[in-house]
Amino acid sequence: MMRDRQIIDGCAKHDRKAQQELFRQYSRFLLGVCLRYATDKAEAEDILQESFLKIYFNIKEYSGTGSFQGWLRKVAVNTAITHYHKNLKYRYHVDIDEYVSEETGVSSFEEDLFTSEELYMVLSELPSGYRMVFNLYAVEGYKHKEIAEMLGIDTNTSKSQYSRAKAALREKLTRLGRIKKSYGADEQ
Amino acid sequence: MSVRELFRRRLGKESVSPRASLQDDLMKHLARREFMHFIPSRFNIYYLGAVAAAGITAGLLIFSSPRTDRQKTDNNKAVSSDTVEINVFDIQATLPIVVREDNVTGKRITDVEKAGKERSALSHTGTKEARDTGLVIEAAVTGVVDSMKSKGLFVPSRPGGMKLQDSYMNGTALFELSVTKGCAPLRIHFTNNAGSVDSCRWTFGDGGYSDEINPDWIYDVDGEYRVTLKVFNSDGYHASSSARVTVFPKPEARFEISPQEAVIPDDRIRFMNYSSGAVHYRWDFGDGDTSILFEPVHKYKDYNNYDVSLVAYSEWGCADSLTVHNAFSDSKYFIEFPNAFIPNTGGSSGGLYSSKSDEVAQVFHPVYSGVTEYQLKIFSKLGVLIFESNDINTGWDGYYKGQLCNAGVYIWKVRGSFINGEPFVSMGDVTLLRSP
Repeated sequence: MMRDRQIIDGCAKHDRKAQQELFRQYSRFLLGVCLRYATDKAEAEDILQESFLKIYFNIKEYSGTGSFQGWLRKVAVNTAITHYHKNLKYRYHVDIDEYVSEETGVSSFEEDLFTSEELYMVLSELPSGYRMVFNLYAVEGYKHKEIAEMLGIDTNTSKSQYSRAKAALREKLTRLGRIKKSYGADEQ
Repeated sequence: MSVRELFRRRLGKESVSPRASLQDDLMKHLARREFMHFIPSRFNIYYLGAVAAAGITAGLLIFSSPRTDRQKTDNNKAVSSDTVEINVFDIQATLPIVVREDNVTGKRITDVEKAGKERSALSHTGTKEARDTGLVIEAAVTGVVDSMKSKGLFVPSRPGGMKLQDSYMNGTALFELSVTKGCAPLRIHFTNNAGSVDSCRWTFGDGGYSDEINPDWIYDVDGEYRVTLKVFNSDGYHASSSARVTVFPKPEARFEISPQEAVIPDDRIRFMNYSSGAVHYRWDFGDGDTSILFEPVHKYKDYNNYDVSLVAYSEWGCADSLTVHNAFSDSKYFIEFPNAFIPNTGGSSGGLYSSKSDEVAQVFHPVYSGVTEYQLKIFSKLGVLIFESNDINTGWDGYYKGQLCNAGVYIWKVRGSFINGEPFVSMGDVTLLRSP
């Protein structure tokens, strides 16, 4: 297995071996990132591919300080944002059911209650604007002000979309948890 | 654990395996992109440009000096090294007539005899030079000397006994080709330079043949072919020469438009390239824009029935084109209305909307594509017409006669037509919400 340094140097020289090694070592991790921003796996793979092309051509910009994986993630997240902007259509048109979703769900969940696939699925069902803000804030850890800049929206919009996204997720997870429990009860 | 924590812990470092073919696809994309960039270690478009420029320069140098000049030079070489060879050419060139002129031939026979030894070496050079010009000629002269010696005359003892094969008939081959290389299907016109002969037989190397004097032949399949012309006269003389023809394969241009029922001008159109045997592409989107990308993405500015065409070029410059006429005639136009909005309590806006006002859904208006005629009416539950607009850019801001309407359900009705002439009529309800 090649070390990060070798891979980075190789990719900077457009060495095919190093490029392939980079893909082998990091594609699964980066697809995990992209999938959070996409509506389905095919879209996530599109974003992943675009991310890798960016990485291959801009690897010289990686300063060498800080985590390489962190840098890769950032490129993928930025690509996802660009992708979101490109495919943006009527982004503020949100179904009324989403809009007035009441806080009916429970607020706490056990860590192992859901599979990763289920969590990805629940995320993918969110309106894309919500999903962007939720990922950037909750998972990536950006501030609302940064998110507002990245997405070209108002800080308050970012905040309100985040809280609505959270509420929607909570409700979906509660419903899903209930279904899972009843299935579990049936099996017993 | 809160929702935020749950997602951060579980998906923050989650790995997902991409489909198996993704790496190959990526590498193909990468190779294509790298080709468009200048990367010293890789063959790229800049190198290709340099090679093409060098090729064109070389081509110009070669073709600017006329062919005949070059051949004459070759001939002159022969003159300087061996005067006899020239005489042999003369005999061949005027084959049917010269034979009977005794004094002329008599002299020539002697010359030929003298030259006998040197002939093979010279012939060899002749062949090599001929090959450089794209013609391959068997230059060995067989039986000539023997025949002339024994008879004392330039007459062969039996039909076919004299076999003249040479590239130079007064400095030209027995025949000329309109082209020697090109793209399939390649049509070549052959011109017979053998002079007055009684019959001739062309074999084209792909199984075809012809007895015409100046035939045309079409090569459908790519490959290298050897064309041979044999000429005969009634005395049984025959001469032959051959040339090589190179036929390049034809690329195939193919593409698909995505999405299939694209809405013009709203959608970004992706052109999926399924061409084969090609290395360069030229797209014409039909609206005046073009692209040389492999798979371009294009956004049209206006609705129209555009013809989209793709020309695919092979590495040998062979081209194939595909045009899709009225590519967007399947366009799906639509008009749709939201089912709720929250008017701005700060006063009537006149119904103008923007992405800013849409952020908080202050104005009730449709999302649409390709609408030309439009009329929207909104009624209260009691059937009172409270809003009417013929301008799609003016929606309802929730006010009636300057007063903000009550929260509740309202009925809307719309009629109009799309740019392709198709009419639409539709109705539904909308909930007016008041900000909490």
